[in-house]
Amino acid sequence: MKKKLQLILLLIFIVTSVKAQVELKGKVTDADTNQPIPGVSIKIVGSDRGTVTDLEGTYTLSIEEEASLSFSFIGYKTQTVDVNGQSTINIQLEEDIETLDEVVVVGYGAIKKSDLTGSISSIEADEMIKAPAADPMQSLQGKVAGLQVLNGSGRPGAESNVRLRGITTLNDNRVLYVVDGVIIEGGIGFLNSNDIESVEVLKDASSKAIYGTRGANGVILVTTKTAEVGEGGISLSSEYGVENIANKIGVMSGPEFANYINDAEPGTYNNISALPNTDWQDEVLQNWQPIQTHTISAKGATEKLSYYISGGYFGQEGIVPKSDFERMTFKLNTSYEVKPFLTLGTNLTGININATNPPGVVNSLIRAWPINAPYNDDGTFGEVQGSNPLAAVEFNNSTRNELRALGNFYAEVYFLESFQFRSSYQFDIINNKNRSFTPEFFVAPLQQNEESNINIGFGESRNWIFENTLSYNKELGRSTINSVIGYTAQEINSEFISGGRRNLIGVDPSLWYLNAGASDYQVNANGGATSALTSILFRTNYAYDGRYLATLTFRRDGSSKFGRNNRYANFPAIALGWNISNENFYPQDFIINNLKLRASYGLNGNQNIPGDDQYSRIGSGINSVFGFNESLINGASFVDSPGNPNLRWETTSEYDIGIEFDVLESRLQGEFDYYNRTTSDILVLLDLPGYAGAGAFVQQRFNAATVNNNGIEFALNWVDEIGDFTYGFGVNGFTNNNEVTDLGEDIGIADNIISGDLGNGQRVTFTEVGMPIGHFYGYKVAGIFQNDEQLNEFPRLSQQGVGDFIYEDVNGDGVLNDDDKTFIGSWIPDFVYGFNFSVGFKGLNISADFAGQSGNSIYNGKQAVRPNLVNFEDRFLDRWTGEGTSNTDPQASLTGINYQPSDYFVEDASFFKLRTLTVNYQFLRTLLDNINFNSISVFVRGTNLFIWTDYSGYTPEIGSGNSALGGVIDNGVYPTTRVLSTGLNMTF
Amino acid sequence: MKTYKIYSLIGMLIILSIFGCEDDFLDRQPQATLVAGNFPATGEEAVIATNGIYNTLRIWGIYSGGFPLIDIMTDEMVKGSNPGDGVQVLNFQNYTFTADDGNIETWYRTLYLGIRRSYLVLEKVPEIEMDAQLQNRLLGEARFLRSFFYFSLVQAFGDVPFVESSEAPDGLERTNKETIYQEVIIPDLLFAIDNLPEKSEYANEDAGRITRGAARAMLARIYLFRGDFQNAATYALEVINSQQYELEDEFQMAFRVATEHGQESVFEIGAIPEGNFALGGNQYANTQGVRGTPNWGWGFGRPSYPWIEKLNNNNDPRLEGSVIFLGDTIDGVLIQGDGTTPDTTYAEDGSILQIETYNRKVYATGERSADRWGHNRRVIRYADVLLMAAEALNETGRSAEALTYLNEVRQRARGDVDGILPDITTTDPDQLREIIYEERTRELAFEGLRYWDLIRTNRAEEILGPLGFEAGKHELFPIPQSEINISGGNISQNPNWN
Repeated sequence: MKKKLQLILLLIFIVTSVKAQVELKGKVTDADTNQPIPGVSIKIVGSDRGTVTDLEGTYTLSIEEEASLSFSFIGYKTQTVDVNGQSTINIQLEEDIETLDEVVVVGYGAIKKSDLTGSISSIEADEMIKAPAADPMQSLQGKVAGLQVLNGSGRPGAESNVRLRGITTLNDNRVLYVVDGVIIEGGIGFLNSNDIESVEVLKDASSKAIYGTRGANGVILVTTKTAEVGEGGISLSSEYGVENIANKIGVMSGPEFANYINDAEPGTYNNISALPNTDWQDEVLQNWQPIQTHTISAKGATEKLSYYISGGYFGQEGIVPKSDFERMTFKLNTSYEVKPFLTLGTNLTGININATNPPGVVNSLIRAWPINAPYNDDGTFGEVQGSNPLAAVEFNNSTRNELRALGNFYAEVYFLESFQFRSSYQFDIINNKNRSFTPEFFVAPLQQNEESNINIGFGESRNWIFENTLSYNKELGRSTINSVIGYTAQEINSEFISGGRRNLIGVDPSLWYLNAGASDYQVNANGGATSALTSILFRTNYAYDGRYLATLTFRRDGSSKFGRNNRYANFPAIALGWNISNENFYPQDFIINNLKLRASYGLNGNQNIPGDDQYSRIGSGINSVFGFNESLINGASFVDSPGNPNLRWETTSEYDIGIEFDVLESRLQGEFDYYNRTTSDILVLLDLPGYAGAGAFVQQRFNAATVNNNGIEFALNWVDEIGDFTYGFGVNGFTNNNEVTDLGEDIGIADNIISGDLGNGQRVTFTEVGMPIGHFYGYKVAGIFQNDEQLNEFPRLSQQGVGDFIYEDVNGDGVLNDDDKTFIGSWIPDFVYGFNFSVGFKGLNISADFAGQSGNSIYNGKQAVRPNLVNFEDRFLDRWTGEGTSNTDPQASLTGINYQPSDYFVEDASFFKLRTLTVNYQFLRTLLDNINFNSISVFVRGTNLFIWTDYSGYTPEIGSGNSALGGVIDNGVYPTTRVLSTGLNMTF
Repeated sequence: MKTYKIYSLIGMLIILSIFGCEDDFLDRQPQATLVAGNFPATGEEAVIATNGIYNTLRIWGIYSGGFPLIDIMTDEMVKGSNPGDGVQVLNFQNYTFTADDGNIETWYRTLYLGIRRSYLVLEKVPEIEMDAQLQNRLLGEARFLRSFFYFSLVQAFGDVPFVESSEAPDGLERTNKETIYQEVIIPDLLFAIDNLPEKSEYANEDAGRITRGAARAMLARIYLFRGDFQNAATYALEVINSQQYELEDEFQMAFRVATEHGQESVFEIGAIPEGNFALGGNQYANTQGVRGTPNWGWGFGRPSYPWIEKLNNNNDPRLEGSVIFLGDTIDGVLIQGDGTTPDTTYAEDGSILQIETYNRKVYATGERSADRWGHNRRVIRYADVLLMAAEALNETGRSAEALTYLNEVRQRARGDVDGILPDITTTDPDQLREIIYEERTRELAFEGLRYWDLIRTNRAEEILGPLGFEAGKHELFPIPQSEINISGGNISQNPNWN
């Protein structure tokens, strides 16, 4: 075999070397526009020699007289011409409508959009919202039907809260991110959005099944930039902006607060005008803080080598002092065709983050007493009830550094024409370091630090995946087959080490090390975690004549998080599609020029739990103190949470029916889907019987409960141009019904789960069959007791008096008690939507993006939690002060019965906001010819300019935490900001 | 074709080789902890596992749920702290707490945590080949502690689920408390008495471990609670006659750092002055420490004004040893208290309801707030043993003998002061009974004993009724509502708590 090959190569060499050579020149242009096309691939038929057109579309090639040349470029019909001794060949390429068909990344492969059977939203880089933010996901808010993106924190570097098609599980609802094939633990806030080529959101069971393992909550595939043959150049993009607080929370002023206290405790303050009047939000928050992002990149490609390289910087100071965030990113994507049958490549990303951990003042901004002054007369910090936030800022020195490298090395082997074997080693290594120094200080008895202290923590996480896939792509007559089979193994190991000391020999940052502390007190900790996963995957996509489509997907996973008996699970899926508009009977000139129906059904899994939940464990450090000279003596016993050896996969079954259509020569593109997903065997932490001896606040992991989500999802986009005037708009959204259909009472679980701790012992969420997950639960306020008559008329709690809330006797039994607590709102929106438009004339373009949601509530926990007497929000100004004064707000009360969980604290958190408004000017090409730039554009942008909402907190965009059971409770968030920015993009 | 075969062969080999060890690859042990099953396996590990049970005694929720609720429910104490802080604690002062209360749940759950930790020792240690004496001692310690946790449970909640191994079965119902007394609480203490050393027999570094004396005193306390005065007298006298204990010379020295594990201490929980549980701290005293200036704690558990007045009225020196007043100077530190807490609270008629004071029995020397965490809680003091002996003897017709022990306590309280707290001479059992009761609240206030004393002597309704106590209900705490919910109704609620 090998000898034969050598012989053939030798023959080719001899044949080619004896032929007469000519020097051939030419130019390739677009048949319609006559514009030159750079990067057109020119190949000598029957050899692997060739060249590429330059920026002017021209080429030169040394070639034998009788050769044939093929000219190909993506989006154009390939042309083949015979040289026949000519020395100049100019070619006009025609656009190929069929191959223009977008290619969509689907996980372990890519498929033509027209052959797609699943529900996938694909967003190209130029379609993503440009907003100054660390997390690229912020760019998808309101952009993808089915995707809820909440940017609920103004903290620099904050990640978005992303949920797909509702709340799938009681447990962790985070979507799975895959960056260049690397499965990420957590979000993608570390990525530079300028490096992203496209984002694919896999939504239905069939699309997700290839990631069966962890696909249930949705999968987001991120593909970073590469260069196509002929592309090349350097580009620079820069944006600089300033941040201001989006809206302050209305709290009582000094006099208002003192009056309120006087109402509750008469005579407390006699000379109110003499009291200080401090607005803590104004005192602490700093406006006009810079936010900036800069990226420089270069890319290029030849037939064999392709590269993309970039460096990026993102910096944000933050409106809370000492909360800055800085990130540097480096990106290198290359591939090299070593042999015609072998390509080697790598995608690498390096990240360095330096950030200051914000001081914990978000709550004290609104709670600190307004009648306390920030400073004493001598300039020292004043004693402030509810903590002096300025002092808290001053004495907070906590930093975080993160170094992260992720990427892959791969080899692709092509053989027998249609086969491709790909082997890829992928890694994601995270190293982080935390350092926190608190000096010795005294502000007040309850705000002091008796000894300076230092705490250091190092952590690392190493995640590797070894992935081997074999693909088969073949067109057989009218059939197209697209198959992949593979095996992957993954291992994640993490470890941390931390230490602390006290009484440092100084306060200078150069001393913020353990060794600068006294040696009499030393604490340290070190631990780790490990988990592994193996998978077999298979998918085949079959298209017949572009009309009938079918996809079969299967993944079998084994997870270390479950015992041997329950370790493996299978996740199959099937999807069917029908391109009706490709049928012969379909009228060619019909207004709907493209029409497709599709349907899918399948199973996805979720195993997003710590690895140890299956084990009952014995831990060290359960210490005791013995001896006349007391010392801490080692003890060991059960680590509180008992294991559940019977844990198994959480499974989501989902069906999806969709229709896609293009109208008016594809000016309007639309998509509708109905989705219905049911998650069962939900992995959830539940309270054990107390007698199980796990201790207080310790829960055990169970497979319990079933949740259903269903709804309709739509996306409509219109793009058109009239002469030089271009315009477009898009609208998308989805509805969601969320219902718990089973809680697993049969396995000894209570018929409800109470959660949503406010931090004061009150728990305000309730999960029960027939209702949405973790809905708010408490009394319904029916009014205010105006007089003694009413007090006797309505059932009430013993502590209630005139001026207090009337709670509704919901079950009508004439007694007010816990049984009258009821549903008082859900945090899960019924409808999430986005809207955008853009208009352009010549180089000028104006675009705007809107996002919104409705039907959801937030429990305003910061108004209810009152362990101490702290400032009040301004709604309490409308208080009841006597018969007839108010039937909605109770009398002044510092604590007690009116703070019972009730719908008084549940606020409508529907919102609609103008996410970004951008005015962009791109300099016309004629202006650029002299200065060698390909393009230059400048823009000004406003981000978070307007929000329409009834919610009284900093933002209604608060998402649920990692457990959905606790709902959305506003216990104080970092204030969100409005950004005004300007920027520049250029390529040359 | 040949190439293809080679490729497939290589591919198959790779896949097979990986699959071959798949289960091994997927077996992952927890890191830095053991999987339960083979621990403890040696004598050394047996000690370590036993130490793990003691750890439970320092958990914040172990005594009525962190705050000194059980004392706040009596006439000796009120909630204290800033009026706005820890509002739910007020429910215990007013008897408005419900089965949903988180403190009760914490308390209940922590007691069972201790029981589970005891079973780790009781199940594994007997199988270990080790020094027999040490083995029996460790089993004695573990059984004492199991008994202690179970007694706390049945005392507070009545019939409770009876867990008999480290892995509690599903679906347990409540077991008659008498069964638990007979099968665990009393036999465990008898075993402990037989197998544990006396206090003096322990090495210095073992101070704080359970002693024979502690087991006897505990048994006396339990018999007294059950009204079995004969047995109560027997075991209290055994403690006294063991010659292991004496009262401290000065009343307030019974609680100080200097006398930790001292002559009056029968059962005491060691703690280290670090504001951190893992480092050996106990928040019990921090919760009750002076609030404000100096910043020694949160100020919960304020001595009640009537109790203060009572001791003040006959110049009982124990007032000073039990209460910190504003303006006191302690170890050179002036007590100023909390700026936002009223110094005095008045009733509508102008009479004093409360004054800002703090519990001095939990005072620990030291300037830092963390020093409060080093307070060693005295669970059983010798003074209590003497008063238990006096009461039990009086109830069994040995009133004259009772006087000896009663007067021993009064004499120490009196100190050098003339004209107060004279020796008691009456041998009339009824009179003497009242005198002993009164002595207990003066001597043992804020030590978690008053409430149970009132329950066991049927005086709760009379004395606590005005505070909100309801007979037929408050003799027992409610089973935590969560426990009933999780059991799906298998576990019932106590009378009148629904």
